[in-house]
Amino acid sequence: MRLASLLTKEIIQFSRDRVILILILWLYTIEVVICAYALSFDVKHLPLAAVDQDRSVASRALLESFRINEAFDIEGYPSTMAEAGDWLDKGKASLIIVIPEKFDHDLRRGAVPVVQLLLDGSNSNTAAIARGYAAQILDRFQQEWLPDAVAPAVQVEAVLRVWYNPDQTYTSFMVLSMIALAALMVGVIHPAASIVREKEVGTIEQLMVTPIRIGELFLAKTAPTLGMGLLSVFPSLLIVWWFGVPLRGSLLLFLLLTALFLLSAIGIGVLVAAVSKTLQQALLLSFFGLFPLMFLSGTLVPVESMPEFLQTLSLVSPLRYYMDVILGIFLKGAGIAELWPQALALLVIGSLLFGIAIGVFRRQLA
Amino acid sequence: MMMAGTANTAWIIETQGIGRRFGRQKVLANIDLHIAEGEIFGLLGPDGAGKTTLMQILAAILDPTEGTCRVLGFDTVKQTASITSRIGYMSQGFTLYDRLTVDENLIFAARVRGIDGSVFQQRRQRLLAMAGLTQFGGRRAGDLSGGMRKKLSLCTNLIHEPPLLLLDELSLGVDPVSRRELWQMLHEFRESGASIVVTTPYMDEADYCDRLALLDHGRILALDSPDALRQLGEGTVFELTTNRAEDVLEVLTDRPELSGLQWLGSVLHILLRPTTTLSADVMQTLQHLGELQPVPSSLEDVFVQLTAPQTAVQVPAFVPASPSPDATAELDVVQLEGVTCRFGNFTAVDNVTLAVSAGEVFGFLGPNGAGKTTLIRAMCALLKPASGKLRVAGVDVAAEPMRLRSRIGYMSQRFSLYTELTIAENLSFFAGVYGVEGHARAKVITWASDMIGLGGMEDRKVQEISGALRQRLALACSILHKPAVLFLDEPTSGIDPRSRQRFWQLIQSLAGTGMTIFVTTHYLEEATYCHRLGLMYEGRLIAAGSIANLRSTLSMEESASMEDIFMAYIDREKASEQVMEAVR
Amino acid sequence: MNWHRLTAVTAKETREIIRDPITVGVSVLLPLVMLFLFGYAISLDVDNVALGVLDQDKSPASRALTDGFVQSGYFRLIRDFKTVEDVEDSLQRGQVKLALVIPPRFHAALVRNENPTVQVLVDGTYSATALVAANYAQTIVTGFRQPARPSAIQLEARVWYNAPMRSINFVVPGLYAVILMAFPPLLTALALVREKESGSIQQIFASPLTPAEFIVGKLIPYGLIAFAQMIMVISIGFFWFQVPFQGNLGFLLATAFVFVFCTVGIGLLVSTITRSQLTAMLLSLIITLMPSFLFSGFLFPIFTMPYVLQLYTAIFPARYFVELSRGIVLKGGGLEELWFNLAVLLLYTLAVFWLAAWRFRKKVA
Repeated sequence: MRLASLLTKEIIQFSRDRVILILILWLYTIEVVICAYALSFDVKHLPLAAVDQDRSVASRALLESFRINEAFDIEGYPSTMAEAGDWLDKGKASLIIVIPEKFDHDLRRGAVPVVQLLLDGSNSNTAAIARGYAAQILDRFQQEWLPDAVAPAVQVEAVLRVWYNPDQTYTSFMVLSMIALAALMVGVIHPAASIVREKEVGTIEQLMVTPIRIGELFLAKTAPTLGMGLLSVFPSLLIVWWFGVPLRGSLLLFLLLTALFLLSAIGIGVLVAAVSKTLQQALLLSFFGLFPLMFLSGTLVPVESMPEFLQTLSLVSPLRYYMDVILGIFLKGAGIAELWPQALALLVIGSLLFGIAIGVFRRQLA
Repeated sequence: MMMAGTANTAWIIETQGIGRRFGRQKVLANIDLHIAEGEIFGLLGPDGAGKTTLMQILAAILDPTEGTCRVLGFDTVKQTASITSRIGYMSQGFTLYDRLTVDENLIFAARVRGIDGSVFQQRRQRLLAMAGLTQFGGRRAGDLSGGMRKKLSLCTNLIHEPPLLLLDELSLGVDPVSRRELWQMLHEFRESGASIVVTTPYMDEADYCDRLALLDHGRILALDSPDALRQLGEGTVFELTTNRAEDVLEVLTDRPELSGLQWLGSVLHILLRPTTTLSADVMQTLQHLGELQPVPSSLEDVFVQLTAPQTAVQVPAFVPASPSPDATAELDVVQLEGVTCRFGNFTAVDNVTLAVSAGEVFGFLGPNGAGKTTLIRAMCALLKPASGKLRVAGVDVAAEPMRLRSRIGYMSQRFSLYTELTIAENLSFFAGVYGVEGHARAKVITWASDMIGLGGMEDRKVQEISGALRQRLALACSILHKPAVLFLDEPTSGIDPRSRQRFWQLIQSLAGTGMTIFVTTHYLEEATYCHRLGLMYEGRLIAAGSIANLRSTLSMEESASMEDIFMAYIDREKASEQVMEAVR
Repeated sequence: MNWHRLTAVTAKETREIIRDPITVGVSVLLPLVMLFLFGYAISLDVDNVALGVLDQDKSPASRALTDGFVQSGYFRLIRDFKTVEDVEDSLQRGQVKLALVIPPRFHAALVRNENPTVQVLVDGTYSATALVAANYAQTIVTGFRQPARPSAIQLEARVWYNAPMRSINFVVPGLYAVILMAFPPLLTALALVREKESGSIQQIFASPLTPAEFIVGKLIPYGLIAFAQMIMVISIGFFWFQVPFQGNLGFLLATAFVFVFCTVGIGLLVSTITRSQLTAMLLSLIITLMPSFLFSGFLFPIFTMPYVLQLYTAIFPARYFVELSRGIVLKGGGLEELWFNLAVLLLYTLAVFWLAAWRFRKKVA
C-alpha cells in the first residue's frame, strides 16, 4: 500500500522531469547513433600522396590499384620528394608512396624496383594498418601484373578467417559499447537524481515523518530504474538492427545479465546520492567518477591492450564483465556455458554494491 | 552627506506610470511614486505583490516595460551607470560571499566603490560597531547567524554612504531582536541625510517608516503615512467578547458590509468594509449577545479591507476552540521532561520541560537558532535527543518511533509538497502513505479539498498555484490521517495577511476537534491566535503560558505589545545570565 | 577599465576558489588522473596477443612455426588446443584472440615441396587490433622458413614522426586538448552562474563595476588555473611518459595560451545563456568535454568519418588545438605549417568573447 503510493509518485515525477528524460534519451539514442557513424579505427579514405617518378603504364596501374582501394584517397601528385615531405609535415597527406624511375623498365627486366612508402606514424595504429593494406595491394599487383614472373617457391599460405565480424568494421563494437555505457550511465544517474532531488527540496524530511519504512523508500527509488533499464533494451535492439549488428545469442540471457549489471549501477547511483547535496554535485560526481571506470572496462580499447596493473584493476569493474556479456551474446552467440564466470562476477559485485548502498542509505536516514 | 554631482531635483525618486510585464503576465501596473530626500519609505505587501520587481526597477537593474523612472535625478533606463555607481541596493536573501570573512566582504564592497585607506578603516570600524560585529571580523560569512548576516549585508551597502538605500526584504526570517538592531542602524544612517526605501512583509515594521505604499497584485492600493493609513479603517473595526458564538455568527451571516471575521480566543474580531458602519439594530443584537467594543484599526486590518473581494465574506462556521477537558484518555497529550539536544559541543535544546493538552494551539516564539525547530524535530522522532523523556500522542517517542508517525502530522517550512505533481496526486500520495485507502481515501480527500477551498483546481500542478494555496494544501496533506498532534514549522512565511487569517481559521477549527497543534512563527501578531505560547531563547524555554499570564508574570501593562513582552523576557534572561557569570 | 575594481574582483574570486577544497582538488587531481589513465590505458599497440595453437602435426616444422609466432614478440602462447571444439570454445570465451591451426602432414607437405595451408582464426570483435594482429600473423606465416618469395617489387616502408610507433606519443599531445576542454569551461560557467543563482550578481549589477571589469576579473583566476594545468600536463608528458618533443616549446605554450582563453571564454558564453548551475554543467559537458573527447581527432581519426560529421567536427576548437599540439610535438611544426589552425583558434576566441559581451547586460532580465 505505502509502497504502491511511493512507486506511483516516483513514476509520475520521472515522467515530468524534462532534464533527466532528455538526458537519458540523448544517451541512449543520439549519442549512440552519432558515435556509431563517426567513430571508428577503420582505415578508410586515408589521404595519400603519390610521387610518380616513372609515369609509365606500370606505375599508373599501380597507383590505380591504390586509388580504387577504399582505404586510400589519392590527395595529389607532388612532383618532388621535398614537396611530398612538406605535405606530410602539413598533414595534407598521411602516406606517401614513391615510385622510382625506370619502374616499368625494371619490372619487365626482372630487376627489383624499390617502392618507398613513407608513413605518418603519429597515429601508430592507423600507420600499422595502412602499412598492412599497402603491402597487400602491392602483393596483388605483383600477382596480376606478372603472374609468372617468378617461379613460385614452396610457400606456406595462411588462410585468414575473421570471426564474429565479417565486415571487419569497428561499427558493431562501437554500437554495443555505447549501449553498455548508456546502461551504466542511466543506471547510475537515475536513482541518484531521484534521491538527491528529494534531499534538495526537503521532501525527504516529510517522508521520514510518515509511517514509510526505509526499506520501502529504497525500493521505490531503485526498482523503477531496474524496470526502465530493462525496458530500454528494446529500443536499443532497434538501433542494433539498424546498424546491422547481429544478435546471435539469447535475448533472455541478455535481459537477465543486464538486470544483474544494473544492480551494480544502481548501487553506485545510491552511493553517489549519499554524498551529494545537490543534483549538480551528483551529476558531476557521476560523470567524472564514471569516466575512469568506463575506460578501464574495455569500452574504447580492449582490456588486453592495457598494462598489467590496469588489467588487474579492471577485475572489479562490473562494466568490464558486462562488455564481455554484450559482445559475447550479440557477436559470438555465447550462452551461459561460456559466460558463467561473467555472470558470477556480476552477481557478486552487484550484491556487494547493492548491499553497501542499502546500508549507507539506512544510516543516512535514521 | 550627499555625494556631489547629483542633478538638481526635489525628489530623490520619481516614477510615472511604471509597468512591467514578464511574458504575458503583468507584474506591475501604474506605479506613481514620489519619494523625498531623507525619507524612510516602506513598500508593504505579500509575496508576489511586485515589491522586488519594483525595487529592481528603482535600482536600475531592471527596465520597466512602461513608464519612466528617475532616481537621484537620473533616468533609470538611459543613465543606468550614474545610478548604479551611487546607490546602495540590498537584494532579497543573504547576498554575501559565504566563503569570505566579514572583513573580506567589506573590503570587496569598499574597493568596488573606490573606498580605500583611512576612510575605509574609519567607516569599517563604525559600521561593525553599530552592527555588533566588531569581534567577528575574521569569521566566515557563511558561519554567521541569519541576523548577523543581514547586518553584515547592510554594512556592505553602507560602506560608501550612499544617498539612497534600497533594501529588499530587510528582515525576512530574522528574529525580533536582530530586527530591532537593524532598524537602529537605519535610523542612525538616516540622520546623515540619506533616503531609504524598504520592503517588508511584516506589518509591525511599518511604523518605522515615514510613509508607506500598500502593494497588491502589482498595484498600489494606498499610499500615506502609517497613521493616516490606519485612519482609513477608523470606525470599521470592532471586537466582540462572547460565549454565544453560534448566535453571533447567525446574525452576521451574509452581511454585505463585512469584509473580515476572525476569532482570537473567545473574541471575535469584526472588520467592516471601508466607510461602512454596522446598522443600529445589528449593533443592538450583538450587544445583547456579548460585549461589543470598537477598536482602533491596525495596518493589517486596513490591508485586509483593501484586498477584500466583492462577494460576501465567508463566515467562519465553527466553534472556537478551548481545550476540551476529556477528549482523550490522557489529559496531557504531549509531555516533555528535561529534553536536551546536542550537535557536537553545541546545545541546541537545553532541558525543556513542557506539558500540552488536547485541542490546544501552542506557539513557539524565539530568535533564529533558539532551538524551536530542533525541539519540534525531536518531538517528531526526526532526531534523537541527548537526554530527556518525550511522550507525544500517547507514545513514548524514543521507544516506538514507528507508531508515533501514524499519529502525528508535520508541515515543514518549505511546505514539502511535490511541485511536479498535481494537487490531486499529492493528496492521493499522502493518503496512501498514511494507509488511508479505498472508500475512506476518497472521503477524506473530499473533506480536505473542501476545507482548504480547492475549488476545482485538483488537476493543477503545485508549481503553478499560489503560495497561499500551497500552504493550505500542505496543511491538508499533513492531516489526512486525522493525527492527534500536528506540528507546523513556520507555516505562514511570506503569505499575505488575508490568507494568513484564513489559514489560522483552519488551524483553530482543527484544534476544535481535539487536535493538539504546535506552531512556530516569526509573525508576532499571530501569537494572539494561540492558546499558550512558549518563548525559546538559546535552547531554553524561558517562558510558557497564555499572553495574559506572560504579561502578568512580569507585571506588564495590558497595552504591552507582543514584541515588548518578548524583549522583556529576553532581557530578564540576559540579566540572570550576567548574575550567574558574576557569581562564578 | 578601472584597475582597482578589477583586481578587487580577482582577489575575491581567488579567495573563494582557495577555500573551496573540492574545486581545488578536482582541478589538480582530475587532470592527473586522466593523464595517467589515458596515457597508460589507451593503447592500440598490438603486442601480447593471446594466442592458441592447434597443432595437428606435431612435427619439428609445426613446432618451428609456432615458435616463430612466439619469437615475434607480438603473441603470447597460452593454449595448446587438443580438438577443433576447443578452438571454437576458447575463441567464444575470449580466452584467445587468435588461433593458429596447423593441419596434419604439414611437415611432410613442406618436404615434398607442396604448399601447405594453415588456418589463422582471429576474433574480429575489436577490429582495430584484430586487423593488425591478423596482418602480423600473415607476415609471420608467409615468411616462415623459406626466405620470403623473391618479390618482383620490394616494398620499403619508413615511418616518420613517432618511429617507435608508440601510441602513447599519439595520445598524450591530444590529451592536452581534452584536459583543457574538460575543466576550465565547466569551472568558469559554474562560477558565473553560481552568482546568478545566489542572487549576489544583483549586487554586482547595482554597483559601479562594468561588465568588462567583472568578467575579466572573474576569468583571470580560472585562466591561470587552466594554464597551470597545461604546464603540469606537458611536463608529465615529457618527463614521465617520455613523449619526444620535436618542436618549439615556446610556440606550444603560446598556442596553449590562446586555447586557454578560448575554453574559458566558452564557459563564459555558456553562463550567459543559462540560469541554473545544473543546466550550465550539462551544457558545458555536452558541448565541450564530449566533443573534445570524441570528435577532435584525439582518439578517433577524423578522416574516417562520414563527410557530414567531418564538418561537424570543424565546429569544435579542440580539433584545431589537437592538430596544433601534435603538429608541434610530433612533427616539429612551426608557424609556417600550422598557421591555419592557429588563425582559426584566434578567430574562434574573439567570436566567443564578442558574443558573450553582447549577451551580458547589467540587467536582471
